[in-house]
Amino acid sequence: MILQTTMLPPQASEIAWHVDNLIWFISAVCGITGLGVYGALLYFCIVYRRKVPNQLGYAPTPRILGSHKMELAWTVIPLVLFLGFFAWGAWIYNMCFHEPPDAPEIYIVGKQWMWKIQYPEGQRVILGQNSLDYSKTVGGEGYFEGVMVLPVNRPVKIITTSEDVIHDFGIPAFRQKIDVVPGRYTSTWYLPTKTGTYDVFCDQYCGTNHSLMVGKVVVVDGDTYTKWLAGTWSPDGGQGHGNRNAVDGSMAHQGRQLFMKLNCIQCHNTQNPRAPVLEEIFGTRRQFKDGTSVIADDEYLRESIRKPRAKVREGWEAIMPHFGTDKVSPEDLNKVVAYIKSLKKGDTPVRTEDWVPPVGAPTEERPQGKSSEGGGPK
Amino acid sequence: MSTTIEHETGAPHHAEPHAAGHVSYLKDGYSIWSWLFTVDHKRIGILYLIMLTLFFAVGGALAGLVRLNLITPSGMILENDQYNKTFTAHGVVMLFLFLIPSIPGVFGNFFVPIMVGAKDMAFPKLNIASWYVWMLGAGFAVLALLTGGLDTGWTLYPPYSTRSSHGNVVTGVFGVFITGFSSIMTGLNIIVTIHRMRAPGMTWGRLPLFCWAMYATSLIQLLATPVLAIALLLLMIESASNALGVPVGIFDPALDGDPVLFQHLFWFYSHPAVYIMILPGMGVVSELLTCFSRKNIFGYTAVAWSSVGIAIVGFLVWAHHMFVAGISYYAALLFSLLSMFVAVPSAIKVFNWVSTLYRGAISFQAPMIFGLGFIVLFTIGGLTGLYLATLGSDIHLHDTYFIVAHFHFVMVGGMVLAYLGAVHYWWPKMFGVMYSDFWSRIGAVLIITGYTLTFMPQFWLGYHGMPRRYPNYPAQFQFLNVMSTAGYTVQLAGFLLIHTYLILSFFTGKKAGPNPWAATGLEWAPTESPPITHNFDTTPRVVAGPYEYSLNLTQTGEKADVR
Repeated sequence: MILQTTMLPPQASEIAWHVDNLIWFISAVCGITGLGVYGALLYFCIVYRRKVPNQLGYAPTPRILGSHKMELAWTVIPLVLFLGFFAWGAWIYNMCFHEPPDAPEIYIVGKQWMWKIQYPEGQRVILGQNSLDYSKTVGGEGYFEGVMVLPVNRPVKIITTSEDVIHDFGIPAFRQKIDVVPGRYTSTWYLPTKTGTYDVFCDQYCGTNHSLMVGKVVVVDGDTYTKWLAGTWSPDGGQGHGNRNAVDGSMAHQGRQLFMKLNCIQCHNTQNPRAPVLEEIFGTRRQFKDGTSVIADDEYLRESIRKPRAKVREGWEAIMPHFGTDKVSPEDLNKVVAYIKSLKKGDTPVRTEDWVPPVGAPTEERPQGKSSEGGGPK
Repeated sequence: MSTTIEHETGAPHHAEPHAAGHVSYLKDGYSIWSWLFTVDHKRIGILYLIMLTLFFAVGGALAGLVRLNLITPSGMILENDQYNKTFTAHGVVMLFLFLIPSIPGVFGNFFVPIMVGAKDMAFPKLNIASWYVWMLGAGFAVLALLTGGLDTGWTLYPPYSTRSSHGNVVTGVFGVFITGFSSIMTGLNIIVTIHRMRAPGMTWGRLPLFCWAMYATSLIQLLATPVLAIALLLLMIESASNALGVPVGIFDPALDGDPVLFQHLFWFYSHPAVYIMILPGMGVVSELLTCFSRKNIFGYTAVAWSSVGIAIVGFLVWAHHMFVAGISYYAALLFSLLSMFVAVPSAIKVFNWVSTLYRGAISFQAPMIFGLGFIVLFTIGGLTGLYLATLGSDIHLHDTYFIVAHFHFVMVGGMVLAYLGAVHYWWPKMFGVMYSDFWSRIGAVLIITGYTLTFMPQFWLGYHGMPRRYPNYPAQFQFLNVMSTAGYTVQLAGFLLIHTYLILSFFTGKKAGPNPWAATGLEWAPTESPPITHNFDTTPRVVAGPYEYSLNLTQTGEKADVR
């Protein structure tokens, strides 16, 4: 136990390697500077100590007022070194912001006091300490609800949001953390480089059981990862809770079910559309009534569900109700967005007229706008 | 720099001795009312000293609870909620009720007027009002902490603080809000005093560096504190409206608010507030090093203007607390770059202090040991700040024990050591008695050792990823946590020792002469220790710079070592 923290912490991702190099570089520069300062301090204190101990008062000393050259030197040299730190640090920060284009997206939703993790393939796990008898288990042989599994040497993008307060998803072995902010989506990416089991911590104070919002991430080889995604392998051999899920389709598939359940299909259909057809809209430019336009990205899709009136498509009426967190949880929103992103030409389900809304669907009257008799594109 | 500003308005010259003003300020009235209704800046300083000592003891005891709890991985004595309330109380008490008012309240009040050669502050009644306002705010804060506490951390981040917290957020925040006004009053008073009340001959270039530092501090207090007031007011509105069932959304995204907005407002004050805490300490250290090495300060202009530089650039770096909080990529780049610039003036100061010792005649009384300890520990605190200003390394170290160690090295290793240095340096002037030379040196060494032992292991904990504000933690972190707690006990021994010999000095301490350290500053010019109520018999005439130790010349042109 002692050795674990007196040694260097595990270094298990691409970014970790870069961060450690930077940290040791800063340490070397600061170490040399600091030791120089301490050396001078110690030397002066010994050599120029008062020769008669405890005697105060007059002692002949030279009247040295300063030196412009030295002031200039110890202003410019530190500044240059500091700017070097800045540039190196900015380079790494930039790296954290730009994931490889083909990295699969893993969604993480924080909630007091657990992490809900959704994989695009449909696997989902919950991280968090068992809060009932934490005092026996925390810090010891921790009992975790689930384990996050990641493939080695394959980049993954993580997209996070929170259901309640600010959390922070941090993996020290990856040297990375990101605040998980309600109402916002933040993202970073990992390239794990070493198989093993590592700690996941909540790093932003979030209340009573902040310290129990912890878990483990297991980095495995590609084959094992594929098996885990399919629900045929679990990190603890199937003994643990929720480590081996039967998978009910991909996130996009789950999103399709929600698309029907939430009655999106009532308007966003191809037979009698009262709202834009959503096939292959992701990444295209969308034109709005007020003359502006944006490229349809994740942020736009989420906003169009949460606050549909914020941007109204050219040629359509603002008839869609808001879907707040009471109707669509952040996790469900991720599924619906995954579905919309996956929609190909001709994939929109067929709407039947005598459709009975399923249990739990929004029941309130749809606002009957001018376009209720089929205001398609002009 | 060298023009002499002559004006008599601020520091009236009393040709005829004024009997009431010519006894020691401690003997000028003995009733409780003569203290509570005093407008004498020295008595107000003592009022601050008493309350600050009390609050420091409370904050220190709370820190003890935190450290005790962290001895075992599962948390030794406190439930999670109790722990959260304890560390919040520790932070609120130490920051708002100790660090921010500490040196300005005690030594700014007591010594800035004497050091510029004035009879009192510019606005004596505003001065006592600032103490009462501070006490009122402290009263609300203490009430909130005693009747249920706060579990938000001193940073009060919404939406947790406005939505989920089950503490007395509104009461506690209102207390902090009120103390802000006291801070503004003190700052205003000091700025005006330094501008308008300097004795004849006390030019800006002859102003002691402690006054320069207090001036820079006061500028920040005046300009930044209103922004904290805005942030806290909005927070109170959101919390109170939530409690009353008519939620007004300002920071809570569920109510269409923006939580990151609070962080911007909060850090716009709270980062400069770090300099409110450390700049006065830097001023004190400049006084200590020159006096105990009998040297002129190396680079007076550089040290003076670096204080002002820190005060100005300090306003432009607040978002470096938010690199991983979801701020924009470009904002992060800009704030990291600007943070590098604020590191430079601190480096300049350290280099100048060390150079001051060159060819000096250094003696190691307790104030000097504290001053040297300040340089050693502040250098660690400052250098580790670079890891956090650098974007790449901050991602890993943010919100871990590395941050905790970093700011404790600056706040505790820096500011508290400077505060104790000031207490020991000016004690004979304030009370006219000397404390034990031997025990004070032991106390200083104990405290410096204790600090180092407490906070050094935390850097390593943070590098390993241990998050802040965890009442329990994975077992591999235990060894370093136990070491840290051990350091706390060494500090505790040091503080108990200091309090013992300082209190004993009232009874057994030998009389201090008017100038026991043979110092050159104007505060040692009054012929008595403690000073008379009006500070000076006649308005002093300043003829020299503040640190003419090599000429053995005080600012009024006398020999410094005549006791």
